[in-house]
Amino acid sequence: MKDQAWTRFIIVAVICSLVGSVIGIQMIRIQNIPAAAEILAQSENYRGFIETIYPERGSIYDAKGNLFAGNEAVFEVGLDLASVYQPETIAAVASSVLGLNYTEVLTSAQKTPGNGNPYYIVLDGFATKEEIAELEKINQEYEDRKVGRNETKPSLKGLIWTAQNKRSYPEGDLGSNIIGFYSFLDKTEGKGYFGVEEAYNDLLAGTPKQIFKNYDPVEIPSTEIVPPGASLILTVDRDIQAMTEGVLSEAIDWSGAEAGTILVYDPEDGSVLAMATTPRLDPNEYWKYGEIFPNPTPYNRAISKSYEPGSVFKVVTMAAALDAGAVTPETVFHDTGSIMVGGTTITNWNYGAWGDQDMTGCMQHSLNVCLSWIATQLGADQFYTYLKNFGLDRNTGIDLGGEVHFPIKVPGDNQWYEVDLATNSFGQGISLTPIQMVMAIGAIANEGKMMAPHVVKSMIIDGRQYEVNPVVVGTPIKAETATTLTSMLVTSLEEESSVALVEGYTIAGKTGTAEIPTEFGYTSSVTNTSFVGWGPAEDPKFLVYVWLEKPTISIWGSEVAAPVFSDIVKNLVVLMDIPPDNIRLRADNIMRGE
Amino acid sequence: MKTNFLHAYKQAPWRTQLQWIGIFLLILVSIAAIAGVYLSVSERAATTGRQIQNMEQEITLLEIEINDLSSQLASIMSIKNMQARLEELDMLRLDPLQAIYLEIPGYVPKEAAVLLAPPARSESQERPVLLPEFTASLWDWLTSKLSQPQISNEVQP
Repeated sequence: MKDQAWTRFIIVAVICSLVGSVIGIQMIRIQNIPAAAEILAQSENYRGFIETIYPERGSIYDAKGNLFAGNEAVFEVGLDLASVYQPETIAAVASSVLGLNYTEVLTSAQKTPGNGNPYYIVLDGFATKEEIAELEKINQEYEDRKVGRNETKPSLKGLIWTAQNKRSYPEGDLGSNIIGFYSFLDKTEGKGYFGVEEAYNDLLAGTPKQIFKNYDPVEIPSTEIVPPGASLILTVDRDIQAMTEGVLSEAIDWSGAEAGTILVYDPEDGSVLAMATTPRLDPNEYWKYGEIFPNPTPYNRAISKSYEPGSVFKVVTMAAALDAGAVTPETVFHDTGSIMVGGTTITNWNYGAWGDQDMTGCMQHSLNVCLSWIATQLGADQFYTYLKNFGLDRNTGIDLGGEVHFPIKVPGDNQWYEVDLATNSFGQGISLTPIQMVMAIGAIANEGKMMAPHVVKSMIIDGRQYEVNPVVVGTPIKAETATTLTSMLVTSLEEESSVALVEGYTIAGKTGTAEIPTEFGYTSSVTNTSFVGWGPAEDPKFLVYVWLEKPTISIWGSEVAAPVFSDIVKNLVVLMDIPPDNIRLRADNIMRGE
Repeated sequence: MKTNFLHAYKQAPWRTQLQWIGIFLLILVSIAAIAGVYLSVSERAATTGRQIQNMEQEITLLEIEINDLSSQLASIMSIKNMQARLEELDMLRLDPLQAIYLEIPGYVPKEAAVLLAPPARSESQERPVLLPEFTASLWDWLTSKLSQPQISNEVQP
């Protein structure tokens, strides 16, 4: 009896062991067959999903911390097809609240997820807060609704909305030529175009991160922080920018100019305080770009359009000649009204002969003949070497997208002729952008030190503010030359009683009237009028460059651009808290204890 | 004789059964207790995980809202809106030439440096947000203490 029980026990144990072993072997086998790897890979899909997190795009502030570009909340409204319960209700609500097409929404909502159909369909990528509030209200109302036994409760189940950032520009078109725009309608491939948005696109955008999001809450890893893109604080002052744009608009209306550019620059450190150009685009509606900027209109004339600047360029020629010792302020030139250079006769703007003129007189009366003579005294090699030292043969490197430069012709080039030395000396036959002119002339206002023009003052990266240090690009002229030329330009403005003058402030400056090259030669009836000036002359805090294209009220820079400069400076000294010279000098003396 | 001796010391069958049942129950209770603790910890981990997820979502929403409010504020304070409000209040723009500069001896205007975030090289950057005492485990503390060089407390004359 006992043996029988023992035998049975052994048999059962053996069977159980065999079954167990077979199950074990089968488990090991299944885990190692080729399909196992595939099944394992498939199972990963049920563990979680990989989400790409795009960091919030960095903000852009003006020099005083006013927001130029930030982010506002919008909502993406979509359909989670697996959860859709009443397609008709969703279509009706979406069409009434979001203004979507009823049939299209219904067709989408009736789709069965999988088998080629998506699981999620975006209905509206940019729903407003008000629209979402309305949706929430309707949803709540449906949930609270009491219905009879045979009635069906309406439901928006499957209609979901998610808050997202959208680029916004609270100041509209103010400073838009500097800011550029971000193509926010493209949520995955959006990028910055023009201006700061383009130049600093990578920094502003930050680094997108791919994160594995586990469905199992136990396996949620530590919080993944995706830092936002860098924020930028500009050198541009919103108030000065607004004032400059206002004066430019008035000037264009008043003068009948086709377009205009005004640059306000700090020659001491190369900061751009304002940069106003026309036309301007509201970056909140960047899709109007093609309409506002028909080809080949540049987005920012100050950096993207070169022109023959005319007599404002005489400042550079005179600086080179004084620095090289080719002339001194006291050098007298006898103006006969014409000069022959390279077989071509050069005349003055009024075809007149001005007799004996010192160098200040040459600048004051803007004598082409005198400046041509100065260039010949300097010699072509030295003249063009100075132009290169002033950075006029290359981009300034300003931190804005879209800068261009037009190559200058130099001796040895096929297109260079001897007469070019003369015409270049008074700003014809040489094409430059306003920012190139500003950087070069900034050196004269800054004791010979040429600063790199820039618009970004500091950056906020990972919660820390980093200052951008000003960069000295070169020293094209000596400090004494710069001081001498500034004094000469102060005198020349005062002696001609220029309309550019501002009461109480010493200003150095020069007008410019340039003929425009066409395929039929130069036109005298249509001109580019310019003015460059800086002040206070002893300790310049600003340099203003004005360029009005093809004004109809007058062809002369002294009549069109000079008063615009004056208007700018009158406002600028108030906005920058620059007291009149007498008060400033008295205060300086008190500070020095004199 | 040998058989009798064994019989004399052998446990009663019911006692052996009770012992086996006791051992079995002990193992069962232990497994149940471990499973209970495991379930409890898992439940808490899962709940915390969900809370983390919800809080992450809340942080994202709050960040979006902060950005939105900043943009709204900037829009309200924009040059165009401010000018419109000034016009509504019948305020006139002063001619800049009418500005009068008052001399205040000894007054030095403040440098208007805009600081929207802590500077890059500040003391607070070096200091961790939480002291190690709050984050270090016992093991961390022990290894850090052991790795520290021994410093003699003796005072040199």
